[in-house]
Amino acid sequence: MNINLKDALKYLLLAAVLIYPLFSFANEYFLHVMVLIMVYMVLAMGLNIVPGFCGLLDLGYVGFYGIGAYTAGLLTIHFGLSFWVIVPLAALNGAIWGILLGAPTLRLTGDYFAIVTFGFSELVVLFLTNEIWLTRGPLGLPGIDPVIIDFSWFSTLINPEWDWYWEFIGPQPYFYLGLFMVALVYVIMGRMEDSRLGRAWFAIREDSIAASSCGINLLTYKVIGFAISAAIGAVAGAFLARWTMFLSPDMFKFWESFLILCMVVLGGLGNFKGSLVGAAILIALGEVLRIILPALNLPTETRFLAYGLIMVLMMRFRPMGFFPSIATQSQKNPILIKLKKELGSS
Amino acid sequence: MNILDIVGINMRFGGLMALADISFNVVKGEILGLIGPNGAGKSTMFNCISGVLKPTSGDMLFETGNRKIRINGYKPEKMTYLGVARTFQNVRLFSALTVLDNVRIGRHCRTRSNFFGAVLRTRSQKEEEQRIVDESINWLKFVGLDKFAFLTAGGLSYGFQRKLEIARSLATDPSLLLLDEPAAGMNPKETKSLVELIHSISDLGITVILIEHDMKLVMGICKRLVVLDHGVMIAQGGPRAIRENPKVIEAYLGRGAADA
Repeated sequence: MNINLKDALKYLLLAAVLIYPLFSFANEYFLHVMVLIMVYMVLAMGLNIVPGFCGLLDLGYVGFYGIGAYTAGLLTIHFGLSFWVIVPLAALNGAIWGILLGAPTLRLTGDYFAIVTFGFSELVVLFLTNEIWLTRGPLGLPGIDPVIIDFSWFSTLINPEWDWYWEFIGPQPYFYLGLFMVALVYVIMGRMEDSRLGRAWFAIREDSIAASSCGINLLTYKVIGFAISAAIGAVAGAFLARWTMFLSPDMFKFWESFLILCMVVLGGLGNFKGSLVGAAILIALGEVLRIILPALNLPTETRFLAYGLIMVLMMRFRPMGFFPSIATQSQKNPILIKLKKELGSS
Repeated sequence: MNILDIVGINMRFGGLMALADISFNVVKGEILGLIGPNGAGKSTMFNCISGVLKPTSGDMLFETGNRKIRINGYKPEKMTYLGVARTFQNVRLFSALTVLDNVRIGRHCRTRSNFFGAVLRTRSQKEEEQRIVDESINWLKFVGLDKFAFLTAGGLSYGFQRKLEIARSLATDPSLLLLDEPAAGMNPKETKSLVELIHSISDLGITVILIEHDMKLVMGICKRLVVLDHGVMIAQGGPRAIRENPKVIEAYLGRGAADA
């Protein structure tokens, strides 16, 4: 009964969030923040693969976010490609760079790998700033089209008067698109976690020598994890490009990587569901501080102190994050549920 | 018929000769004991066979599919694939994962599904997952841990952790199993059930090489023993001959002990 009530409350809350943007009293700023949270939810889930599942510290995740965003931005401006074509291309580009960076450097362990990823993200920012012929450098990349759903080629075939063409204006459509993106990544993460692939990652995190003696090729599986993580980051970047319609290199500075890593740690390393909460808390906190800090006559950069303080408090009181990953409770696979019943009855 | 021929293996760590010109054979289906005092090079020998270390020189010939192949310098995952499984001297489990997951990871090298299978949940992936679970639970039943399937591996008692490690290595379908001090830290009751387990592994047709300090256990199980001391092979033969070999007594008890 207790659980039912909890579930009911959960679904009620979800339904409330779902229909909220449709009401006339929905605040545009509030919706904007929610979309931002969703972007970071995707980033945090994607990053969780590397430090959470494989146990490798990644300090350069924002590099892939930037690669995805600029891939989407440039493809939109120069080739006018549709958002639905761009997302897979951006993911592919992210994954390619993930493999290019990961294949030689994932042989390194621990701190060395963290330093390499950090250097990579700085390189991405330097490239975006200095290759002016391609990215317009510090001037940024304005004039990216919003997301468009265009079925006019199809509808005019049926009836010349039908024009199935929608341009995304205002935060509402992005809210639902973002929600769709979060749900998609969430499902993919869940399915990867509960598979041969996910188990191989966990084995590497727990004990790499034992993992290789189980027949797991360490380098291959680390590179796969890194590439998938990069691809998810690039998808979030592509969404960002078509949502903000403007990109500049300083949107992908190092502290973004740190922020995403904080979300992952806050939610619980290795538990991608916790990352959702981590993203929501830290973005909401950032917005609150944006209002509070000027009122106190402090510069807005002071908010990094707050993030640091949160990390210190987390390390002291909840070192495993708010939702630590517990192997024994996260199994909803029907095969395992069946097995549990069989073992219980015998 | 030999499953493994070790021919003149040398292993050098800088100036230290950890293994010097070791040669012995492992007969298919036998339980071979590998003994010697601490620091004799037993675990180094295991690391060479299982691919963790690459011997400096010499040959290791492993029989797989009626072919002898030279396995020097093969990676551990390749050796697992060829059919060499091992346990570790200090238990190496995936301790935050469940007992079942530990054994399921052991099935990794015999299964194929990849990222696309996992995300799209294809029928072949689902069938494979079911097979993995069935086989894993069978191995857990084999070592007697099936009732702990959903507990975290790190929470098991030491004796059970040892057994789980054996179950995980069995899940890789080995033809040769290397057990590195499986009875270390076990109480007499656990040791007894371990002996039974090793016999039943042998009954499955799996060749076993056993490193063990518990002489009673080794002498009881193994028909043949290889004795190392300071990286040199000082004797091999049946338990009785080994027990009476003056060199072995000297290695364990010191010079002069053999005469006493």
